Amino acid sequence: MDYQSAMAISASGMAVEKTRLDVTALNLANASSTRAGGALYQPLTVISAPRQSAGFARAMAAWGRTMPAALPRGVEVVEVRATGVPPRLVYEPSHPDADAKGYVAYPGINPVTEMVNIIAATRAYEANLAAMNAARTMAQRALDIGGTQ
Amino acid sequence: MTTESTTLSLLRLALDAASMRHLAIADNIANAGSAGYVPQQVNFEQQLGFARQSLAAGLPLQAGSLDAVQPYLEPVPGAHLSSTATLDMEVARLSQNTLHYQSLLRALSRHTAILSTAINEGRR
Repeated sequence: MDYQSAMAISASGMAVEKTRLDVTALNLANASSTRAGGALYQPLTVISAPRQSAGFARAMAAWGRTMPAALPRGVEVVEVRATGVPPRLVYEPSHPDADAKGYVAYPGINPVTEMVNIIAATRAYEANLAAMNAARTMAQRALDIGGTQ
Repeated sequence: MTTESTTLSLLRLALDAASMRHLAIADNIANAGSAGYVPQQVNFEQQLGFARQSLAAGLPLQAGSLDAVQPYLEPVPGAHLSSTATLDMEVARLSQNTLHYQSLLRALSRHTAILSTAINEGRR
């Protein structure tokens, strides 16, 4: 039982989901921020992709299929990107950051979307945890080979 | 004892396949949120068709016939499923694979117990 690879894969999945939760929390915390270093806060999203070894493409080409040298290696965050959602304009003439027409630009953060992201990331984190516990159980049982059963 | 080598070879291959399948499932779960990721699966049972045929015909399995059998990873055909749909299926496959692995280990232990009985000439 290759428990080290299995646990590394599940750990990378948990790290990515935790990053997703962090970014979602950052978005929610800044939902009412009207300035962020001169510009308006941009809602962020996490882009993840399979983690690949350096010679992955070469190994694939050489062997024609996935060989032991190119076993799954988990997941990694490749980018934390602005979603590009336009800002939300609210009419508040008395606000110090209001424009000439009296509109204040708030970041385009949808609380419902962010809450759904939280739930999805939590469930994915739990699934990774289940996979890690399964790997541990399998490795422990493998130690009993040849036991008095 | 010709059954010894084939049983051990088959169990070794099946344990390798189950271990590799766990890696594939863990990777599928870890990449549940990665856009463009193609889920992986293990090709193993498909390669054992000849073994089932010879056993069904009442013929013993030759140890050398298993040399070409090797579990390997392949992309799931036609897989462009939404990530939420795959997550629960993958967890279900995960627990199924864990049970399968444990039953293979039990079979291996039973097999060595039988050998031990033979070595001890039937005595305890």
